[in-house]
Amino acid sequence: MTVLPDRRSFLKGATTGLGIGLVGAMGAYSYSSARKSRFPQAERKMTDIGVCKSVKVTNVSETSWFENGVLMGDIKGAGGLLVNQYDYNWPPFTNGKGLGKGSYKEGIERIKHLLPNRLEEAWEILAKDSVHPDNAGGFAAIIDVEEMDGKKHKFLLDSGWSYKWMDECFKREGVDKMLQNNEIEALLISHEHFDHYWGIPVTFKYNPNITVYIPEGFYPEGLQYLKDSGHKGKVITIKNGLYKYFPGMASYVFPIPIICRVYGEQSFYFNVAGKGLVSVTGCCHQGIVQFAETAIKEIKYENDTFHGIYGGLHISPFDDWDPKYDDLVFALRDYGFEKIGCNHCTGVICAKKFIAAGYPVVQGTARHRSKDVAYLGNGDIIAFA
Amino acid sequence: MERYGVGFLDERKLVKRWSGPVPALISLALLLAVFYATWWIFQDPRGVMRMYTPYVGYMYCRWWLIMMIWMVYIFDFWPFRRSWLETAHPLLKGALLTAISVVILLALIKGFFEGLLGNFGLAYFNPEQLEKLPGVTSFFAVEYTSLAILMFAAIASWLSPAWVVALENAPWDKMTQPVRGLTILLVTFFLSTIVYFVTMHPHMGILYYPWQYFTSIAPPYWETFADTVSGNFHISWIMCCTVVVWLVETIWQRYPFTLIRNDWGRRAATFFGIIAIAVAVHFFLYFAQELMWGEAIRGTRRDAAPDWRWLHVGEMAIFFLVPALFLNFYCDNWPRKYSMPVNAAIRTAITLVAAVAIYIIYYKTSHLFLGTQKGFSHPQQFPMIPMIWLVNLMLVHHWFMDNWPAWKLETKTAAEIAAEHAAKAARLESERPTGRYGIGLGLGAAVGVALYFVVVQILPLAANAITIQ
Repeated sequence: MTVLPDRRSFLKGATTGLGIGLVGAMGAYSYSSARKSRFPQAERKMTDIGVCKSVKVTNVSETSWFENGVLMGDIKGAGGLLVNQYDYNWPPFTNGKGLGKGSYKEGIERIKHLLPNRLEEAWEILAKDSVHPDNAGGFAAIIDVEEMDGKKHKFLLDSGWSYKWMDECFKREGVDKMLQNNEIEALLISHEHFDHYWGIPVTFKYNPNITVYIPEGFYPEGLQYLKDSGHKGKVITIKNGLYKYFPGMASYVFPIPIICRVYGEQSFYFNVAGKGLVSVTGCCHQGIVQFAETAIKEIKYENDTFHGIYGGLHISPFDDWDPKYDDLVFALRDYGFEKIGCNHCTGVICAKKFIAAGYPVVQGTARHRSKDVAYLGNGDIIAFA
Repeated sequence: MERYGVGFLDERKLVKRWSGPVPALISLALLLAVFYATWWIFQDPRGVMRMYTPYVGYMYCRWWLIMMIWMVYIFDFWPFRRSWLETAHPLLKGALLTAISVVILLALIKGFFEGLLGNFGLAYFNPEQLEKLPGVTSFFAVEYTSLAILMFAAIASWLSPAWVVALENAPWDKMTQPVRGLTILLVTFFLSTIVYFVTMHPHMGILYYPWQYFTSIAPPYWETFADTVSGNFHISWIMCCTVVVWLVETIWQRYPFTLIRNDWGRRAATFFGIIAIAVAVHFFLYFAQELMWGEAIRGTRRDAAPDWRWLHVGEMAIFFLVPALFLNFYCDNWPRKYSMPVNAAIRTAITLVAAVAIYIIYYKTSHLFLGTQKGFSHPQQFPMIPMIWLVNLMLVHHWFMDNWPAWKLETKTAAEIAAEHAAKAARLESERPTGRYGIGLGLGAAVGVALYFVVVQILPLAANAITIQ
């Protein structure tokens, strides 16, 4: 008869001990240096993407919007950074119902018949009742790549936002003529955000047959906009992961969630002979360190060196700051970039912190409404060769 | 003497209107319906007020939780009389007490933090003061302010209930309300302030350039240890403390601390035991991410970044709170027929399985019906808000409304209450270690350590086998 209480007592002790042992091990081992022996040793895939001779980037426009305060006021008023971008009532998706009450369908119905050739008329309609149309700018760049055999490629990376502003920028940099003359072989879309993508009719105005590369993850409105903008060429959707364009040029699509209900971003790697890897990005929502780490894991590049970066690095797009951005400023040194050309969503504060930290930032000329020489501004050029 | 709500939650008799699991299921359906309706009205980025920015919504959500803890746990429903608590209709009680909690909430945020502290002390508690700093937009001014205020809330939501659960209101437990409540409120608020300044203020100070180096310790002292300068490192363990307090109070019934006879020994062991368990969970949940997603890389964004990983520890912890409270509030803390440790172990296992299930369902579907951002790691994906919102509604329903309509409140007689207290004391006495308890304890501890390493071994395999998104 004494066995039962003893068994019960043993069980109580064992159950209590189980909890103590479990919690004790969690506390003692989980953040100890011994845990690191359990991390998988990632093998570098060293995928060969080939080599190119040179890359040159011409900044057509990095000013996606002109006043942070105005843009953030709109975002705040509409309900924050998670509101669907097609609902803000920003141009061109305007229905006149006010901030945060727009829709793709109602907006495009008003201008579809004018796309892509009568953009001035379309913008006039939009300007009347959209939210802050004059604050809209856009991001776009021309990428010139030369292969080892001398073959040259020219791409347009993104097509900005405002029809009016982007048309001005295209004319300023001669992009209109390049498109008309079929010098630009494709439009590469980094992601679906308004400031990179909504200006596509401006590209199609000059070349509706151009091939468009988009990353996986577009929402239905974004896919429909390609059709509604008067595009008649091929659309190639790049799947998540590595995609080789031609020797020396590849892209990587990151399946990442982005503010204003956008998903996925395509960024570019160029392996420049004798120099190293050059990264070109639209916004780099995945983060520049993540982009570099992906290169380390995935591809083989010259001298095992990160030679350069160009583009928005998406650190402080609204000139906000956060301690985690300092983590990036501290950590970037470990990657040894030799030439940093940043602008757009990098944030002026961040560019200045890079300069203060002694990083090789290529400074700009602050022309054509770009605000600070810490940036590579509108019309500035950076070459990697 | 008027007792207000002292002991009310323990002494009230909630009687099921229907047998079996029907009341729990009805309550669940009701809770989810109210959750979705109120989420749409207050939080959803597609809804009416769109407070999920996310920090504005999180700040209100988090402080509302504390308002209820203050009203119920610290002030024992003072100034409401016991007779009113026992006889008023649950709908009336729910409406009135909720309205009061919201009024205090607004007074605290708008009056104390933004009005007093923000205008006369620290600029980052008031968005208008913050906006005076060149380059700070209105949106981020509000977000920064909300972040600072909610960080304070995170600490208070651990310390306020801990004083009641762990320290048993001592040394003021003999005082009457409202003196006791006011004293504990002031003490926990004071302690929260100290913890805030050494954990969160350096995070806030580093927000501003170049002033950061002159307003706070920057880079902060935890940088090397935590691999980040972000205060998310502290959010992580504080969130774990918040969750562990409630696990101890509900599904563990304060076991094993309740076995300690010496009052101050028991109180100190419970208070510091909660912290120790929380820190262990904090480290483990970080390690679990390393095992599933690879080692964190400083400077990255999203799911590889140490600052996000620490934040996600807190997010993961909060998923445990929802099933634990549901089990306690609506399932009569099932099971109850075994010994305290076995009951607690079974409940913990149920909570663990349910938390993992909710986690998976949440990340698979929340972007479809809550308007949150798809994916794990976007800064705008903040599962703490919907989870705490749900917890808040459960507290309103359970504390203010006596689980109406699936349960009804009946008053226990003095004899019933005395009998219950006697039974509880006898039960506690029977749980004390005897005989082969010590052998079991040692063996159990060894199995616990072994189980830990089995889990560590399995986690990477599980991560490869399960696709959550």
